[in-house]
Parts: sequence; structure tokens; C-alpha cells
Amino acid sequence: MESFIEEMKRYLGFTEEDAAVLRSLGPRLVKYFPEMSERFYSQIPFHPNAFRVFTGSEAQIQRLKHTLQLWAAGLFRGIYDEGYAQERFQIGYRHVRIGLEQKYMISAMGIVRAYLNECLVQEFPATDERMEMSRVLGKILDLDLNLMCESYMHATVQNLRSLNEQMERANRELAGASHTKDEFLAHISHELRTPLNSVLGFSKLILDGLCASPEEERQLLKDVFASAQHLLGLVNDILDIGRIEAGKMVLHVEHVGLRDVLDSTLPLIAIQAAEKRITVVDETADLPLPAVHADEVRLRQVLLNVLTNAVKFTNEGTVRLRASYPDEAIASSDMLHMPCIRLEIEDTGIGIPPEKREVVFQKFVQADPSHSRRLGGTGLGLAISRRLIEMMGGSIGLESGKYGRGTLVWMTVPLAVRQQEEVIQA
Amino acid sequence: MPPPADTPRCILIVEDHPLVAKFYSLALERAGGFTCVVTEDVTEMLAYVEAGRVDLAILDVSLSGTEWEGHTIDGVELAHLLREHAPSRLPILLATAHAMAGDRERLMAASGADDYMEKPIYDAAHLVEKVRNLLRRNS
Ligand code: HEM
Repeated sequence: MESFIEEMKRYLGFTEEDAAVLRSLGPRLVKYFPEMSERFYSQIPFHPNAFRVFTGSEAQIQRLKHTLQLWAAGLFRGIYDEGYAQERFQIGYRHVRIGLEQKYMISAMGIVRAYLNECLVQEFPATDERMEMSRVLGKILDLDLNLMCESYMHATVQNLRSLNEQMERANRELAGASHTKDEFLAHISHELRTPLNSVLGFSKLILDGLCASPEEERQLLKDVFASAQHLLGLVNDILDIGRIEAGKMVLHVEHVGLRDVLDSTLPLIAIQAAEKRITVVDETADLPLPAVHADEVRLRQVLLNVLTNAVKFTNEGTVRLRASYPDEAIASSDMLHMPCIRLEIEDTGIGIPPEKREVVFQKFVQADPSHSRRLGGTGLGLAISRRLIEMMGGSIGLESGKYGRGTLVWMTVPLAVRQQEEVIQA
Repeated sequence: MPPPADTPRCILIVEDHPLVAKFYSLALERAGGFTCVVTEDVTEMLAYVEAGRVDLAILDVSLSGTEWEGHTIDGVELAHLLREHAPSRLPILLATAHAMAGDRERLMAASGADDYMEKPIYDAAHLVEKVRNLLRRNS
């Protein structure tokens, strides 16, 4: 592809002979340059936008007068190649960067042109020579002006391109956000309708007198109650997720005795566990547990969620609770140097395949939806738990059970190191 | 509402929420005198359908536990599969908790179902009437 300077030279009819003329006759104009830059800079500062770019200091003007002479000398160097184009293009770019528009460059070039024409009359009394020089000087000034203006085009295109990219990115983000929101709403609507179906359906059956016996009525009422409880759980979870995503989840983090939290949480799963004949083993029972830096209510919520899942997804065997202090290396890498305690809840249940261990922390994702259909669950519990634990400065994740089956949920909770109390907002 | 004089019509119910399935079958049996088959097992469904024992199918759209030829299939796919195996035209009622704008049109078109119900579906008489209408239209 033809370069810009080659294209301009062809367009202007700028030949090798022209270059030779500039090389041989041009140097005779150099002695006029000091006067030219004086004139230039007696006029330039009156440009409408000049106040923006001139500091008004004499030193700046002196420097610019000098650089203008260097620029003018460059006109007669005689090699108008790619390097020349780059150099002159860069000069234009300097002006783009200080916010000078093209139109000022064009009129400023007028000043240079007018003065050099005066010089020609003085320097070249022979008409032939003067005509020749005037013709070629016109071309090189046009070439230079074009090179400077090209930098404006270049800058403008770049700006538009990056603006476009910004807009495209913003658009993508917006579309993504609204898509996620729509999906979330559709999901919520779907999740709410199912238990509602049972609440409304069974109570209406009873009201319509369609039950065969009081025992059946009672059984249906139990179903209504269970579905209504499920609904309540859903509503609470949806409110929590809503709060978290709106940045309105407020945690009251303080010194909390971990023993107290565990002792008040474990009994809540005892009945479910006993019904399924699952043993819950608290391996921390004989350990002196420390105080942690946490929101007590929310920590209990997370523990209950994880323990309930463990019982729910285990058909036989045990659910174990363990505590340990992770070594310094792990502790410092992901917990901002806060010393933590690590809790593990391990079950002997159906387990979660490795590829699902991260996605279950996303909203409405369940490792195997058919299980939770039968076993209840909103698909929001782990997503909420992760956000809550992270807000407290800990983390939470999944591993497979120690003996290759079941699930192990671990979480770290920062220890209460000094007396501190904070309110954390998501 | 007296049950029809001849043998009761049989409704196949495919629904992955056990309580919802329970409601459909109770409602249809008690308020309509139908018999119901509740299953999520495709082989079992096809056996019933092929034997001509099913007069109408109520299919949930999102089916989490129903597999066919190694993948989970939804009510839309199932509608086509059952129709292919039915000895005569099988009326299909799609029941779903998908209730966002456009869902109805999209799902009806994709499944070729005869009618569509949005959950919550809780009125036994209404459900029976829908089923009766479809059976009448199809006969
Ligand atoms: C034909 C027109 C012009 C030519 C040939 C020209 C030439 C130059 C050159 C060679 C430099 C030095 C660039 C460098 O250091 O790399 C420069 C800088 C500068 N020019 Fe011009 N100039 C022109 C028009 C103007 C006009 C119209 C203004 C203001 C109204 C202006 C204001 C400045 C300023 C403020 C600087 C310093 C920029 C900086 O510090 O980055 N120039 N000009």
C-alpha cells in the first residue's frame, strides 16, 4: 500500500527534481528564519485559542522561536521520505495533544507562506529562479501542512474508535445486566409458583370438600404447611440476595464466641438428622474454640445452611464438624493476613462432582436439580453464604469428602484479634 | 359432576415436583372421576401410551429428573416423543411455572401442545374442565 507521503507527493506532483531544487536553493532562505519566527510569534499568540497553550513566559516563546527555525530548516533538507513524514506528523501531533484545532494550523501556515514569499522576492531577483522556487516552496509547504493535518485525522479516528469501544463495552455490560436481571426474575417467578401451587391447590381441595377422610385432610394440611415454609425460605433468601446485590446488606461484625454459635446452631439440625438416622459428630466439642470476628446472626445462617445441606444430601452415615487453624501460608494468601479459623463440615452423602464445585455457589444453581426438587432448597443458600462469609473477611469452598465420598464444605472465619467492632456494608 | 358411565379416562401426569403431581392426581380423580398415572420414567410412560391406555397427558415443562437416551428431556421434547408413540392422536396439556411474557407462545409452538396452563394451578374444577374440553375436542 502506498504510504501517505508517497500519495501526497504524487498528488502534489512533487518530483525528485523539486527535491533537488529545494536542496540547492533552499539554504539561501535560512538567513531569513530568525525574522520569520519573530513575525510568526508576534502573530500566533493572538490566535483565539492561544491563551490555552501559551504560558506567557518569555522562555517558552524563545524556545518556540528556535524550534520553528529548526522546523523551517527541515523543509530544505532534501530527503522527503518516510522518516520525514514521521517527524512532521509528530509535530502536528504535538499540537493535537495541546488541543489546537486544525484550522489554526492552516492559518498559521498562511503566515509562514506569506513571509517566505516576501523573502523570495528579495533573495531571487532572477524571475526564472524565483518562479521555480515559488512553485516548489508551495508544494513543500502544502506537503507539510498535510502531514500535520493528517495527525489530526489520525487522532480523531483513534478517539472515535476508543469511544466506540467504550460504548460497545457499556452496551454489552448493560445488555448483560438486564439479561441477568430478567433471568433472575423469571427464575424467582418460577420458583415461587411451584410451592404456591401446593399451598393453593391443597387448601382449595380441602375447602371444596374433595378429601376422602379427615386423615387425608390432615396429610394435605401438612403438605400445605411444608410448602408455605418453603415459600418463606424462598422469600427470605430472595430478600437476602436482593440486599446483597443492591449493596444494602449490612453486617454487624463483632467479637463472637464460636462455641456459642455452634452450640446454638447444631441443635437446629438434630431433628432432621435423627429422622434420617444420620449421626452428627461435633469434633470440636472438647476443643477450646476462639472468638471470631463475625456477624453472629449471619454466621449462624451460613452454618445452618451448610449443615442443613449436609443432612439433606446424606442418606446414611454421618455429618462431621471439625475446626483447625490453617497454616500461615494459606492464611496470608487469601485472607489479607487475617488469622483465621477453618471449619469443615463433612458428610457421607451423594457428593458433588468436581466440575460443579464452583457453580453451586452461583444463584439458582444446584448440582443436581432433581434432588433439591425432592429435598427442597432454594438454590440461593450457598450463593448467599459465600457473600456473607466474604463480607466477614473469610472464604468458603467445597472439596470432596476425606474418604472419596460425600462433600466437605470448608469455611474460614477471621479470628477476633483485638477489640474491634465494625459495620460492614456489601 | 358424575363420572362418565364408561371406564374412566386415564390421564398421564409428568411433573417433577411430587406435591404438584399429587395435587393434579387428587384433583382429577376427585373432581373429575379420572384415573391418573404419575411417572417421570419415560420407558414407563411409553409403555402406557403405546398400549393406548392414556387418553391425555399433562406435562410439566422443566423436568429435572426425566432422562431419555442419556440426556434429560423437558416437557416440550417429551410432547413430541409421546405423540410419536401414541396409536392415535394424544391430547397434551402443558403445565408450567414459566410465566414470563412470550413463554406461552414459545412453548405452545415448540411442543405442539393443545393447551397450556400456568402455575399456580389450584382449582380442581377448572383443571377438570380443561381436561374434559380437550378430550371432547379430540374425540
Ligand atoms: C504552521 C504552523 C505551525 C508550525 C510549523 C509549528 C511548529 C511547532 C514546532 C516545531 C513545535 C515544537 C514541537 C516539538 O517540540 O516537538 C511547536 C510547538 C508548539 N506550538 Fe507550534 N507550530 C505551528 C502552529 C502553532 C500555533 C497556531 C500555535 C498556537 C496558537 C502553536 C503553539 C505551539 C505550542 C504551545 C507549542 C509547544 C507544545 C508543547 O510544549 O508540547 N503552534 N510548534
